[in-house]
Amino acid sequence: MSLSTPLRRVTLPVPSVPQTQCRHATLLQRPKRPYTFTQLVTLSDGSTYTHRTTSPAPVYKSSKDTRNTPLWNPSSQKLLNMETDEAGKLRAFREKFGRGWDASKMQERDDEAEKEDSGEEGMEGSQREEEDNLLDLISGYDKQEPKGPREKKVDEEKQKADELKQMIRQRKWDKELRRRGDK
Amino acid sequence: MACKRVPTMFQAIPIRRKSYQCFQCPYTTRKASTFNGMTELSEDVDPTSSMQTPGPSEEHIKRFNPIARTKRRKRQLPPSRYQFRPPRYYRGPLHPHQPPLPSDPASRLFKPGPFSLTRLEQTYHSTLAPDLLTLMYTHHPPGTLPRPSPPRLRGWDGSSPYHKNRPLRGPRGTPVLRLLRRPITFRNIPRLEKIVVHSFVDEAGSERERIQVAGMVMQAITNARAKVYNAKKSIADFNLREGHPCAVGVELRGEDMYDFLAKVVEVVMPRVKDYRGVKGTSGDSSGNLSFAFTPAVVGAFPEVEVNYDAYPPKMIPPIDVTVCTTATNDKDARLLLSSMGIPFYGKHIN
Repeated sequence: MSLSTPLRRVTLPVPSVPQTQCRHATLLQRPKRPYTFTQLVTLSDGSTYTHRTTSPAPVYKSSKDTRNTPLWNPSSQKLLNMETDEAGKLRAFREKFGRGWDASKMQERDDEAEKEDSGEEGMEGSQREEEDNLLDLISGYDKQEPKGPREKKVDEEKQKADELKQMIRQRKWDKELRRRGDK
Repeated sequence: MACKRVPTMFQAIPIRRKSYQCFQCPYTTRKASTFNGMTELSEDVDPTSSMQTPGPSEEHIKRFNPIARTKRRKRQLPPSRYQFRPPRYYRGPLHPHQPPLPSDPASRLFKPGPFSLTRLEQTYHSTLAPDLLTLMYTHHPPGTLPRPSPPRLRGWDGSSPYHKNRPLRGPRGTPVLRLLRRPITFRNIPRLEKIVVHSFVDEAGSERERIQVAGMVMQAITNARAKVYNAKKSIADFNLREGHPCAVGVELRGEDMYDFLAKVVEVVMPRVKDYRGVKGTSGDSSGNLSFAFTPAVVGAFPEVEVNYDAYPPKMIPPIDVTVCTTATNDKDARLLLSSMGIPFYGKHIN
């Protein structure tokens, strides 16, 4: 045997069995589901419906939803004029300073608006006055109704009591004024 | 007989069809109206009838008293011998012990439900679907045919000899072929198919708890267990490392889907400050629209709000919601969703 010829390697046949572990078994995992409850949802306008939820509260009362949001109710004037006071700042201000601080200003503004209205449309203004009169008539309807003798009597007594109260108040006021004048 | 004319190759076919009537000649069956007056039974038919067999004997009837027999029994009956137990593992199609179908209550993969008929689904079937059909319907007067639609793939004009045998070109502008909008009939009114709620957790790499919290929030708001997604590739800019969890997501269908959408529309969207709605440009031009909510809004979901202290407030994730509909274009999908109460703003792009 000459040294020049290299040694021949014996090639073994590759086994067909996979070398790495292969069980061919997949676990059938039971699906995980959170516990759900049936909850009654009460919307802000009082309408209710039930749904399945993970929340354990039996009733959910919503303060803000599609029923009182202007985006879902674009034609509702009531919602458009509503002021947003989520942090309660406006309420705190009113509690501290009251509501009367800008009442006179508001009155002036209203008067101006009325003047403008009447200036622009005279006919309209007169019409509105008429309407107001009619409204007064309607609102005063039940007061003008003829009443029975007993009710009349009660009314008279009430009137007398009111007059008496008024007199007492007037006298007290006069006394107070006199005392202040003395001082 | 008429069957004799049929070649032998076809003779097996009537037997396979379970009815012994020759389908080549359908008039061979005899109806009551074509009674031929033959009253004698053939020799093959057994003349005796089961109605003529005598009933149980007097003695047997007297002895038969199941109540007394039950009372005489001292112990309970043994359970039935064979109780089916679904296999824990699926070992391939050739294994003798096969798991039942997932729809079978005995299956380990069985998911019970639905537990309720949701309000939104009822509204859809009773009110929205007919309205949508009316809005999307294209009427063709009788006797007229709809205008033929142009070819979806453009051909070559043949001005050059090289145009011969060239494949057709795609539509102008986009390389992808848009979905076909078939005429809407009562059969294919667009409806909700599924809702995918997804949340990419930014700092999942540095804080592992974020994935946990995101999963719990997701489970609370969607009524389904969230699935954790791992990053496919490492991207340094997004703090992504290959194989590490980076997002959670849920796919909702059926009852959960309707409940989730109703909740989002009725309660959650109105609570968003200065909310204008979903962008009109949203959508993948094949009927799937998506919108997103910030962590503050996710915290306003009723399920999170009722138990807000349980979640670390800084770890509540933002969520992306994709609503998949069976509509084939965004316009129809937007019509469907706006009928369900989702507002849209801005320019609508289809």
